[in-house]
Amino acid sequence: MRICELTAWRRTMVALALVCGTGTTALAQWLSLPLPGTPRTADGKPNLNAPTPRSADGKPDLSGIWNAPNYDFVQHLPPVGTEPPMLPAAAALYKHRVDTLGYEVPMTYCMPHGVPDAMFVAAHPFKIIQTPGVTILLFEEFHKYRQVFTDGRKLPVDPDPAWYGYSIGRWEGDTFVVETAGFKEGSWLDNRGHPHTDALRTTERFHRTNFGTLELTVTVDDPKAYSQPWTSRNISLVLRPDTELLEHLCENNRDLERLKEAPKIGREQ
Amino acid sequence: MRRRLAIVVMCVASLAASGRALAHHSFAAEFDENKPLKMTGTVTKVEWTNPHIWFFMDVKNPDGSVVNWGFEMASPSQLLRQGWKNNSMKIGDQVTVEAKGARDGSNHANAQNVTLNATGQRLFGGPPPGQQ
Repeated sequence: MRICELTAWRRTMVALALVCGTGTTALAQWLSLPLPGTPRTADGKPNLNAPTPRSADGKPDLSGIWNAPNYDFVQHLPPVGTEPPMLPAAAALYKHRVDTLGYEVPMTYCMPHGVPDAMFVAAHPFKIIQTPGVTILLFEEFHKYRQVFTDGRKLPVDPDPAWYGYSIGRWEGDTFVVETAGFKEGSWLDNRGHPHTDALRTTERFHRTNFGTLELTVTVDDPKAYSQPWTSRNISLVLRPDTELLEHLCENNRDLERLKEAPKIGREQ
Repeated sequence: MRRRLAIVVMCVASLAASGRALAHHSFAAEFDENKPLKMTGTVTKVEWTNPHIWFFMDVKNPDGSVVNWGFEMASPSQLLRQGWKNNSMKIGDQVTVEAKGARDGSNHANAQNVTLNATGQRLFGGPPPGQQ
């Protein structure tokens, strides 16, 4: 009880210090506030080139707010200039999506990006919270989350199919390897429209190379859509220091009406 | 004020360099990047909502008739990070908008830059078109 009181008192003092240090306007929006644990250069700016932080167990700590630097990764997941080996049905679906300018992308109907492309939406960062038993990904876009369990459990057998599937993680040296299965169909692998089926299994390999950089690749194994597994382009995300996620929901989807007309317009081109 | 504007300009420049930042839907399916528009009017309504901010303004035609146009911008979170606030643009403000028109020919467009005529302040509405 005394520890709780002490913790609460310290939190209050930290909050007061932040208010005094940053001004109430900035704090009210949480757009810009000095976050503890951020290495800084002599002038007080976040040092994104500082060494990779580590958690108590000595593993790299992936925690932080991450952002794709541009739209390249969310647009086209495979290596630049290549297409993965699609089976006929997947190839036909992909062609339809490209021909109709991507109007049916799940976002049109206020459904979110999936695995892995929810991490690559440049307009909306996501936050990783790494704890001993689970690593949590909070996505600003549409206020969604993923959980990657690191408590030793196995992937579920015959799970109820899910948009984000079911994820477990393990460390291979300094690389965090996340395996995900149990997907339902619906999400696109990227905005270009690379499809997947419920047979999809992904392996994401994360490597935080310094304080400000998170590199990863994703291997896509979906024998109902592709003739062999393939690995994404090399992806590099940047840390957004001293800020917080903001709310983003889908409460006023004015675009839907005109997007429904898109297939006709697309065919006219 | 000058510093704030400089920050906005820097943010616009960095986002412009990085490509399209429309997050919600396919840009190409709704708007035509080959349909540039620039018009001045009076703000009639501002919807500071997700997934996109929309605002509406009355535009006077050369013949004196008035048409109401609707403009899509990025999300509140995106514009807050670019220096907007939810009261940056008010009903009755005179604004000049640079935008890309809707494919369906309706009076809708995707706003890229918005200038508040009273102050000359130029605010980012959305990045230049391209793939979303």
